[in-house]
Amino acid sequence: MGNGAIEILGVSKSYGKTLALDNVSLEISKGEIFGLIGPDGAGKTSLFRILTTLTLPDAGTATVGGRDVVRDYSAIRCSIGYMPGHFALYQDLSVEENLKFYATVFGTTIEENYDTIRDIYSQIEMFRDRRARDLSGGMKQKLALCCALVHKPSVLFLDEPTTGVDAVSRREFWAMLGRIRESGVTIMVSTPYMDEAGLCDRIALILGGRIIGTGTPEEIVSGYPERLYAARGGNMFGILKVLRGVEGVTRCSSFGCECHVSVPEGGPDEKVLLRALAEAGMTGCSVEPIKAGIEDCFMSLS
Amino acid sequence: MWKYLVKKEFKQFLRDPGMPGMVLMFPFLIILVFPFATNMEIRNVRLVMVDNDHSDRSHLLMEKCASSGWFEVLDVNAAPESAQALMDRGRTDAILTIDNGFSQYLEDTRGGGGSVPVGIKVNTVNGTRGSIAGQYLNTCVTGFISDNMVSSSAAAMPGFDVSGSYRFNPYLDYKLYMIPGLIVIAITMMCGFLPALNIVSEKEKGTIEQINVTPVKKTAFIACKMVPYVAVAYFMVFTCLLLAYLVFGYSCRGSYFAIIVYTLAHILVMASFGLLVSNFSENTQQAMFVIWFFSMIFMLMSGVFTPIESMPQWAKTITYANPLRYFADAMRAIFLKGCGIRETWPDLACLLGIGSLTMTWAVLSYKKTA
Repeated sequence: MGNGAIEILGVSKSYGKTLALDNVSLEISKGEIFGLIGPDGAGKTSLFRILTTLTLPDAGTATVGGRDVVRDYSAIRCSIGYMPGHFALYQDLSVEENLKFYATVFGTTIEENYDTIRDIYSQIEMFRDRRARDLSGGMKQKLALCCALVHKPSVLFLDEPTTGVDAVSRREFWAMLGRIRESGVTIMVSTPYMDEAGLCDRIALILGGRIIGTGTPEEIVSGYPERLYAARGGNMFGILKVLRGVEGVTRCSSFGCECHVSVPEGGPDEKVLLRALAEAGMTGCSVEPIKAGIEDCFMSLS
Repeated sequence: MWKYLVKKEFKQFLRDPGMPGMVLMFPFLIILVFPFATNMEIRNVRLVMVDNDHSDRSHLLMEKCASSGWFEVLDVNAAPESAQALMDRGRTDAILTIDNGFSQYLEDTRGGGGSVPVGIKVNTVNGTRGSIAGQYLNTCVTGFISDNMVSSSAAAMPGFDVSGSYRFNPYLDYKLYMIPGLIVIAITMMCGFLPALNIVSEKEKGTIEQINVTPVKKTAFIACKMVPYVAVAYFMVFTCLLLAYLVFGYSCRGSYFAIIVYTLAHILVMASFGLLVSNFSENTQQAMFVIWFFSMIFMLMSGVFTPIESMPQWAKTITYANPLRYFADAMRAIFLKGCGIRETWPDLACLLGIGSLTMTWAVLSYKKTA
């Protein structure tokens, strides 16, 4: 294996009869933002819990910073930051007390590592005496990020950090991640939102405990095996039904206000599709070729 | 790091909306309210008397009963049927019936042959109250008869004058007996089970997971959690002892050192039991129910409220597994009899025995679930 920040080799984990992770292998390089993209229940949190030494894998090995997650768990705990999906700081302690607490348990102080967190902490420092429970969602998230960073970890694990966060805060949050990465921290982040995939350096698509694709977002997108068309019109359900009936269409699914139609090379083109719609009595529709997005790739891989 | 972990626990404890108030209130309740509420002395026994003799002697007997101070006399000249009706409706605790022939019986020079023409009927819906009412009445009647027999019965019936002397609690003061027991209950409730609920709530909120990814050892984390509760336990014990002295003038006759040792031992036993419960509970509500179930058993089978000696054998056997039994027994011995650890060591040994058993189980299951 190389000198990746995180190396996962054939990791499996099951809870009772449910297989949460099925032979997962990944390699994450130092200093990159690695996105783990997948729907709820795909196994993202299970993988995070193994990498953060909270649970043991049933099979396979994993290393974080070159250390084995089973044998060297205590060494790993000193060098990683983990932000779970839910707010897990003490609600009845103030902002400053929470930060101080986590600095102390890692054997450091806020002052010593102020540089690492200044960028984020400065935004919530004015509320330092407020109890964590009285903070807004975005503030809580910033505080949690501060607490995860206060001991200068070399790897940062963020489990669905943007779930339930508004669009503006999400953009802010990703900008913060970009700045954290510049200081040399490897970031592994999971998200159910496909649109955030493009913000990562590299991504892995996960579904049902299996990795169904890895690479840079561009690689994933350009690896889309078929041609893709977007169909628009008044009667979405009608369009969906008609196009699914056209011979040669592999998949047709609704994406917001349009319908994405996947067609193999040499299959029906936009004219054929439009004609099929017209024949079914649907007028005022448009069909045009588009580039595939991450979500389309996800659909084609799953 | 340890210092800050403990500091965090104290901060959280003091910021809890209910805890500090409860800790302050409890000693006052234990000393000033509960001893009166758990009092088992029977006073104001309601009495109805039926006089069929209508003689001077029967009147004298009734007067003696009325002036004994134990009874609240409802009627002195009731018809037998109405007296029975009163008892049926639960309005009276006892009926004293004096049959005719009572004065002849007393004047009988042959020296009290045959049965005494006096009937005592007691309402035993409440067994304790009934049996004590019966004893009071019996004492009155036999006293009256032996005082008023014409013939000197001394020759006929050689009697024994048994006079009791009550050791350790000469006035049979129930409060004095209950206070050490109630302290035991309070310590169990406040300091035995609450650390467990605290751990489960950290589990529920997910904060324990955040701690688990730090270099802090779990055992250290839990040990630090215990510190405020141990402090609270000592605060409560000594406030109770001080209040008992200031209000009732009771002072602990045994060694304070023994109290300190027993309190610590008891907290450790209860905390390890609580930890065991918390290992098997997903949320605080679940843990609450389990703890509530066990605390009921622990309290009622501890001998604090009812003597273990009067329990049936199978119940006695169960109490041997109850840590409260040993703590309560030791606390009473120390407080009332002035014992130290040397005299009560079997209690300490049992307490520590149960403790090491639950602690081992708790640690093993904790490792498994974690």
